[in-house]
Amino acid sequence: MSVMGLFRPTVIRDVPENHFVVIHPLDDVPEQKIDASALGPMPMTASVRLSLLALRGYLVLMMLLVFYHVMDLAGAFGHHAH
Amino acid sequence: MTDEVLSISTAGAAQATLPPVRGRVVRKKWLYSVLTFLTVFGPGLIVMEADNDAGAVSTYVQAGAQYGTRLLWILLLLLPVTYFIQEMVVRLGIATGKGHAAMIYQRFGRWWGMFSLVDLQLVNFLTLVTEFAAISLALSHMNIAPRVGVPLAAVALIVMVLSGSYRRWERVTVFLCLLDLAWVAIALKVRPSFGEIVHNTIVPGIPRGGVTASLMFLVIAIVGTTIAPWQLFFQQSCIADKRLRFSDVKWARLDTLLGAVFTIIVAGCMMLAGNAARMHGISFFDPAQMANDLHVFSGEAVRSAILLLMINAAVLGTTAISLSSAWAYGEVKGWPHSLEMPFRKAPGFYVTYVVCVGLAAAIVLIPRAPLQLIILGVQVLAGIMLPSAIIFLQLLLNDKELLGEQYVNKRWNNRVNWTIIIVLFILSLILAAQVAAPNLFPGS
Repeated sequence: MSVMGLFRPTVIRDVPENHFVVIHPLDDVPEQKIDASALGPMPMTASVRLSLLALRGYLVLMMLLVFYHVMDLAGAFGHHAH
Repeated sequence: MTDEVLSISTAGAAQATLPPVRGRVVRKKWLYSVLTFLTVFGPGLIVMEADNDAGAVSTYVQAGAQYGTRLLWILLLLLPVTYFIQEMVVRLGIATGKGHAAMIYQRFGRWWGMFSLVDLQLVNFLTLVTEFAAISLALSHMNIAPRVGVPLAAVALIVMVLSGSYRRWERVTVFLCLLDLAWVAIALKVRPSFGEIVHNTIVPGIPRGGVTASLMFLVIAIVGTTIAPWQLFFQQSCIADKRLRFSDVKWARLDTLLGAVFTIIVAGCMMLAGNAARMHGISFFDPAQMANDLHVFSGEAVRSAILLLMINAAVLGTTAISLSSAWAYGEVKGWPHSLEMPFRKAPGFYVTYVVCVGLAAAIVLIPRAPLQLIILGVQVLAGIMLPSAIIFLQLLLNDKELLGEQYVNKRWNNRVNWTIIIVLFILSLILAAQVAAPNLFPGS
């Protein structure tokens, strides 16, 4: 089978009645998917927009905190903190 | 042909005569189901088991060594959490056919797209350094010089993806995942108490000594190592690269569930190995040292197996994490990015992978590289990034414009996911508080 090398696919042209066809996704005809790039940015309510802004502030603050802590541990401020 | 058949093989199968297509015709429905599952199987197992990487091996054996089997219940609790998070990725990947980085970029704009990408690349790269550090450590315990073994491992990891065949990479990686079953054999060999395991798995409890700083760090490390940000990016890109179809959703879910169960069992077995060291009064700094000391009681086979499994864990982690970086970078930059493409058709994608692997391996070979600082950076950055990454996943899974009614989250999905996000945020805040004020919790 495909995963363990046991599945040996062959070229199929006709399918008999009451039979099933197994096709590996990579051998199948590509499906039409949702085109996300055509949709543009996600519409958001004011509260979601505000929450994401707060999240942005939190993440920037945390990154600065981590950067300071790592530099401190590395002795960049002239002493070994811990 | 039945509707069942029509649903799996797109437009071509709607006719009595198919256009030439590679596949297999079977008569029995159960065989059709088994074979279809096996064709879909892979991304779910790989994303879960690759998360049992070198850092995870270290964390789980440390948890076993410090607290015995008392923290096994956390793993059981994390099983549905990992599944629910990755199941959302499955739906998003199949519905859009695109990776996670592309989705954030397109739906949340340039700032969030770039922030997610830079943060992912940074955490991934630091994690890769820890993977190669583990390979170097295990090799030196096997009397193989790291300056020879580490570059060889890097070359093998690069060759793994350069064949221009997704299927070849997937087969090799699934095989490496299944090698981790050896952890079960190790756990059985060290003769655990089954009654105690069952009790401590299903009955939550705080170890003797109460909530200490080291316990809090270990719990956060276990959560952080079981659910990592790169997993969201990896599985969605992997599903997109494998071109999974709408009809594959149920099999991809099963793949993810089996992967989660497999991973949690393996993680539990790692804790049992650490517990065995504790029972014999062995104290250690890393799993390689544990393997060395444990061989007096459990034999040379266990020692060699643990060292080889450390390397296997690091190799699995490296290929998955580097691929998540390469896919994400390709998606945001608009470069061709597929394992199905040869190097000349997707040079940016493969060069990103090669640079990630090569640079991380090179850093490990630098004498006195600040590996402890890098490990700390990985844990803290991943802890900070994870809750926000899941928030974006949650928002995308409620995007009806993008997914339609069929694939958006149901109300119960949202309740479960917001609970997970709140818990992760609390753990993230505790981690941040501990970084800012290291004496917040009593010492162990």
